[in-house]
Amino acid sequence: MFLVWLMAVPLLGAIAALAAPDRAAKGIAAITSVLTLLGYAGLLFISRASINWAWIPEWGIRFHLVADGLSLFLLGLSSVLLVVAVFASHKDAGRTYYFWLLLLGFSTAGLFAAVDLFVFYVFWEVLLIPVFFLLTGWSGERGKKAAMKWLIMNLVGSFFMLVGVVALAVIHSQNGGGLTFEISQLSHMSMSSPVASWLFFAFLVAFAIKAPLWPLHGWMPETYRESEPPVTAIISGVLSKAGIYGILRVMIPIFMPQFREYQMWLLIVATIGLLYGAFMALRQTDMKMVTAYGSLSHMAMMALGIFSLTQAGILGTTFYMVAHGLLVGGLFLVLGLLERRTGTRAMADMAGLNRSAPRLAAYFLFFVLGTLGLPGLPGFAGEYMIIQGLFVSHVVFAVIAGFVLIVAAWYMLRVFQAVMQGPARTSGIKDLFSGQVAWLVPLAGLVILLGVWPAGITSHAVPSLYHAMNLALGKGGVR
Amino acid sequence: MSYALWPEYSVVLGVLVTMFSVMVFKGRSIQAYWVALATIVASGIISIADWGLKGIPVSLYGHGVTVDAFSLVINGLVLLAAFGALLIGWNDRRYGPDFPVLVLLAMLGMMALGMANNFIVLFIGIELLSLPLYILAASQGPGPSGEAGLKYLLLGAFSSGILLFGLALLYGASGTMVFTQLDPSHMILPLAAGGLALTVVGLTFKLGIVPFHMWIPDVYEGSPTPVTSYMAFGTKVGAAAILMRFLFFGFALDAGWWGPALGYLAVLTMVVGNLLALAQKDLKRLLAYSGIANAGYLLVGIAAHNIQGARALLFYLLPYGLAVLAAFAVIQVVAGERESLTVSDLRGLFRRSPWLAAFLAVSLLSMAGIPLTGGFVGKFYLIQAALFSNQPGLAIGLVVGAMVGLAAYVRPLQRAFSAADEATETPLHWPWAGSIVLVVAVIGTIGLGVYPAPIVHIVNHSAAFYWLH
Repeated sequence: MFLVWLMAVPLLGAIAALAAPDRAAKGIAAITSVLTLLGYAGLLFISRASINWAWIPEWGIRFHLVADGLSLFLLGLSSVLLVVAVFASHKDAGRTYYFWLLLLGFSTAGLFAAVDLFVFYVFWEVLLIPVFFLLTGWSGERGKKAAMKWLIMNLVGSFFMLVGVVALAVIHSQNGGGLTFEISQLSHMSMSSPVASWLFFAFLVAFAIKAPLWPLHGWMPETYRESEPPVTAIISGVLSKAGIYGILRVMIPIFMPQFREYQMWLLIVATIGLLYGAFMALRQTDMKMVTAYGSLSHMAMMALGIFSLTQAGILGTTFYMVAHGLLVGGLFLVLGLLERRTGTRAMADMAGLNRSAPRLAAYFLFFVLGTLGLPGLPGFAGEYMIIQGLFVSHVVFAVIAGFVLIVAAWYMLRVFQAVMQGPARTSGIKDLFSGQVAWLVPLAGLVILLGVWPAGITSHAVPSLYHAMNLALGKGGVR
Repeated sequence: MSYALWPEYSVVLGVLVTMFSVMVFKGRSIQAYWVALATIVASGIISIADWGLKGIPVSLYGHGVTVDAFSLVINGLVLLAAFGALLIGWNDRRYGPDFPVLVLLAMLGMMALGMANNFIVLFIGIELLSLPLYILAASQGPGPSGEAGLKYLLLGAFSSGILLFGLALLYGASGTMVFTQLDPSHMILPLAAGGLALTVVGLTFKLGIVPFHMWIPDVYEGSPTPVTSYMAFGTKVGAAAILMRFLFFGFALDAGWWGPALGYLAVLTMVVGNLLALAQKDLKRLLAYSGIANAGYLLVGIAAHNIQGARALLFYLLPYGLAVLAAFAVIQVVAGERESLTVSDLRGLFRRSPWLAAFLAVSLLSMAGIPLTGGFVGKFYLIQAALFSNQPGLAIGLVVGAMVGLAAYVRPLQRAFSAADEATETPLHWPWAGSIVLVVAVIGTIGLGVYPAPIVHIVNHSAAFYWLH
């Protein structure tokens, strides 16, 4: 029932926000997002909530949603970031802005909970539309170009995935199993190897574009540059995880032999992305773009965790998705606060802001340290498990990943130094309002909780992961 | 006594009464519109009543027409198209009392195509559909409309000639005119092959398949907006229905003759149509090329030559038609007195009328195939059909076409949702009749996307061409 709540409340709230006058929209959105979060809290108390309704019986499509160990915490991530993004948004952003934001919350909830491939695909595409309009309507002419690029690149990937989705069901039916889109059933079937390889890449490309993973990240720089900070936080914090989650949820159970076959290539490409993102981040002069490219590098880290095909690596990725989502979402929002105060994002134009805004500087440092993987904060636990997995599978890649952690510390601290430390060159800025602290404190608290108690997630995720891998075990398995 | 043909008889009666009402009432005679609307509603009710009737399916007039679930579904689609066209043109003073009469006549032709079972009915249906549309296209007199009408007439007559020649050859080769009695294994081969090819060319011309699509953009652009919506929806329903009847009933076992050829044409049409749509500045031309591309999607269902294909095609006609109706209703409102509307004219539409912009968005996103709209479910079904027939090329062609098309549809949307340049934010006048079409089409589109199960069920029952396996 809480799953229905999680989807129905944002949807109804979105409609209410659209119908309300502009000045009431933010209030409605705030109430809606908090109610959604409360619904999510209810979900934590039941084990494996699910709904399973017939949707299109003729095609064997069921509206099947499950909150298991894989999806539960991503659902939480999306609800938390939705609340934070709504609170961090402009008061006068207008009702359509909040309409699209809540619609985004609705579609991410559906996406993360879906275990029927058709349902998964529906929400996968639906969430492109709110982001498209958020990019088009609330930024300049360049935002329109970014929106176009976002939509077209993502849809190119997902259209091929659509053929893949239908092909899986059709092959299942032609094998005599009847037409079904249930992932757990599709994972049992046998396919001829060339067909499976084609489908494997159809899915992989779609997920890699959404994440984004190098070299399919073409939409990323412009989208991150042009979007409003709360929207950036949701894209990087939640939507990018959808790509990685798709690999875990859909591809691991179905395409294990193909993962084994192409593992070396996948690891190499992901490692190139890891290095590329890190070094691009070092070269940026815009503090938002440093974070964006840093995030690209971290997405490659998550992909490496999966491609290691070890339990430690995959578990690390599951955990790191949530941790990174909270951290990078918080970081983008703090950067947004900073940008609103200084009017610029160029690091060269800022210095010594910690004098006038010590509290802002403290939160900034907190999220920077979390992102670079300081032990005690959750980023570290995730990266540690991923590297452990890589170590079991291929040592070389573990060494490279460890090296990139150092680079990550370098580029993140470089931002902090440039912006906050040194002699103050410009006039001071206002520090945080108490209203802003109100949403920063719970977010930071949640991050610390995850940092000191990663088992809160991992102990829940392990059974589901075992389930997913056991499905895969028949086809080569996981070490 | 059979009630099977009463939907058609009621339309004949309605045409007569409409003409009579024009004679009785002077002036623009809005009464003619009311009579036509009543006719459409009555015919629809009878079609629905026929659905559960015992005597159906039934073959009448010496196997000339077959009334079955398929023809009743086609009836419903055609009535929807006529309903939409009539209401879009309702509040426009430029359309006289001849408009509803001609709409009803063309509708009768489309209905005949849905149940045709021999060559004569096929040809009568095609001509009955085309002749009123020639007049309607030219109804605005000299200028773009006259040009469109003349072009349509000349090229349409040409294609009718090809069609007739093809039918004559087939009759010569087989000795029968009834689809279900055609037996290709006992035909004189060269005659039969030539006849089949010419007939299919004549029919795909009406459907607007590349390379027989040249007339569509000019005709759509020049014709009055309600007429264009009628051509884009109704004509395609009729042409698709008769192609299915002709090929699935007459040549089902000889798919090797026409399947691959139609497959290549479908891929070509989807890709070319969407590519050319990308380059258009005029909104009606853009929709014309989108109509061509959509004809390609429809052809996928035929080229797949399996039962899923027939069902998918029949299903796809509905979301396609609803999207077309919504888009043209928006054009009619925004263009007002003008006959043409460029993509950049849409700029600032969201500020002038948020609802209209939202409706346009739903319509275009449905054409682009975004989930939770009917267009997506239709494309999904077509891809299923292509893959079930083991023709992945068709499915790939479909998604490649959809990708290109997406860029074409997003451009007007972005214009509509961006701020206007100058302060021409005149509020738009909403005619009530057009609003009904808009609301019905948009609710239908979203409804089909969110819960398509009932329509899927009806379609599966209706296109029960079990011999296609």
